[in-house]
Amino acid sequence: MFALAGMNGLVIGAIYALAALGVSLVVGIMNVINFAHGELYILAGYFSYLFANAFGMNFALAMTLAVALVFLFGLLIEYTLIRPTYGNDMYSLILTFILSIVLQNAYLLIFGPYPNKPPNWVGGSTLILGSFYYGNQRLAALIAGSAVITLVFLVIKKTWFGRIIRATSQDREMAELNGVNTKRLNMLSFGLGCALAAAAGVILAPIFPVTPTAGVPVALTAFVVVVLGGMGSLWGCVIGGLIIGLVENFGAAYISTAYKQVFSFIILILVLLSRPSGLFGRREA
Amino acid sequence: MLEISGIDVFRGETQVLWEVSLKVRPGERVAILGSNGAGKSSLLAAITGTLPPQRGTITFKGAPLAGLKPYQITQLGVALVPEGRRVYRDMTASENLEMGAYPRRGRSQLHRTMEQVLRIFPVLDERKHQVAGTLSGGEQQMLAIGRALMSRPELLLIDELSLGLAPVITKEIYRALAGLVEETTILLVEQNVEQALHHSQRAYILESGRMTRNGPSAELMADDDIRRAYLGL
Ligand SMILES: Nc1ncnc2c1ncn2[C@@H]1O[C@H](COP(=O)(O)OP(=O)(O)O)[C@@H](O)[C@H]1O
Ligand SMILES: [Mg+2]
Repeated sequence: MFALAGMNGLVIGAIYALAALGVSLVVGIMNVINFAHGELYILAGYFSYLFANAFGMNFALAMTLAVALVFLFGLLIEYTLIRPTYGNDMYSLILTFILSIVLQNAYLLIFGPYPNKPPNWVGGSTLILGSFYYGNQRLAALIAGSAVITLVFLVIKKTWFGRIIRATSQDREMAELNGVNTKRLNMLSFGLGCALAAAAGVILAPIFPVTPTAGVPVALTAFVVVVLGGMGSLWGCVIGGLIIGLVENFGAAYISTAYKQVFSFIILILVLLSRPSGLFGRREA
Repeated sequence: MLEISGIDVFRGETQVLWEVSLKVRPGERVAILGSNGAGKSSLLAAITGTLPPQRGTITFKGAPLAGLKPYQITQLGVALVPEGRRVYRDMTASENLEMGAYPRRGRSQLHRTMEQVLRIFPVLDERKHQVAGTLSGGEQQMLAIGRALMSRPELLLIDELSLGLAPVITKEIYRALAGLVEETTILLVEQNVEQALHHSQRAYILESGRMTRNGPSAELMADDDIRRAYLGL
């Protein structure tokens, strides 16, 4: 049971990390919290379900298309809802909160309250450490999640785009003086944040089927992970996501499944009591 | 090269510059002097597009800058070394320099310019892989100047070069600047009046947001009023 809970924790932890990276990117660059993050995660799940099940697309193509569409939707959200509110973070909070409610109701109307599940990528299971069988779909999700996280790190550390993202989150005005079109960067990074939520969504949807409100706990956990890991820290997102994923699953296995969310909040409070700016946060922040 | 005529600049509701005019010719070293709060940094912000003037015009190489954003003005060949250096603290020294080369005019020649900058400030070569936040004040100032040079600017704006630096370090940086190629025009803001007059051909004096005097630096240095007001003599 210990190893099984551990594996489940890693799978869901990688997904939390991915969702949190999306939140962290947008907070770092724009100082905006997108309350509809979870609904975009779900939207990608619905898209991949729709494309694969109803249109009969190959699952990989369906996922790629789903992420791309959510990215474009993210650009549109930035352009219409976020851009006019610069300088007033409260407005963007309220607007994205309203967007999340609107999206939830739209999903309910279109897809109904029942869970929808895109097809598995792989079948069967694998014997882990000679002790228990673990679903191949979950293993594939873990690998896919880790691959996307690695890709994000490579882009941030090695490319011009990553360099201007880091520079802009440290000193926006200076980055603009160094030739960065920060308005365009806002739009791109908001879209990218949404695309990361979407990536998490399409990877997890075959395991946890999507419902209109299933994005809410994922987004809440992503916010918790960002605070736990330390605002603006990429490693914080990864380590924080894994910690929360593991704690939830061990808690569910050994204590009770009813308090899943409570465990992560307890961890958050304990960490913040000893390190107010999170695990990897800068002290002065 | 740079021509400013009659600009009024506001910070929010408050006016900070009144009818300021100034002219910098190619290859010149010009200083702007004035006490704290006189509006020197605001004047530089007007040039870089961060604080566009409400009235008056700024032209660079004959073209008006009105309506251009800071990232576009950088692209034209204006680079700022900001007050307080503002290096990217969490990035390494070489990443800071690379950021300076982000404008198209710098990017294609990144490696060549990087070599030149490291030759001007050899200490940055030693600190290349160090995170900028851990550098000393003098090293950060060299890094900020190096970063500005990375875009291969034609006009270099330097705000408070000597602020918070030990005199020996200041002297070293001024010596490095003196060795810069002829075609880099420099507009220098300083509270350290003696240094600034020493390292410029002409100077303007800004008082409470208005230009009160200007002339050849040597002349101003010999002026009794100026010596009394700014040099404490
Ligand atoms: N960020 C700011 N917001 C509002 N007012 C400012 C700001 N920075 C400077 N000021 C005001 O603008 C005036 C000019 O300041 P500044 O251009 O920084 O002068 P200097 O660089 O000569 O010290 C001062 O009265 C100062 O108080
Ligand atoms: Mg100043």
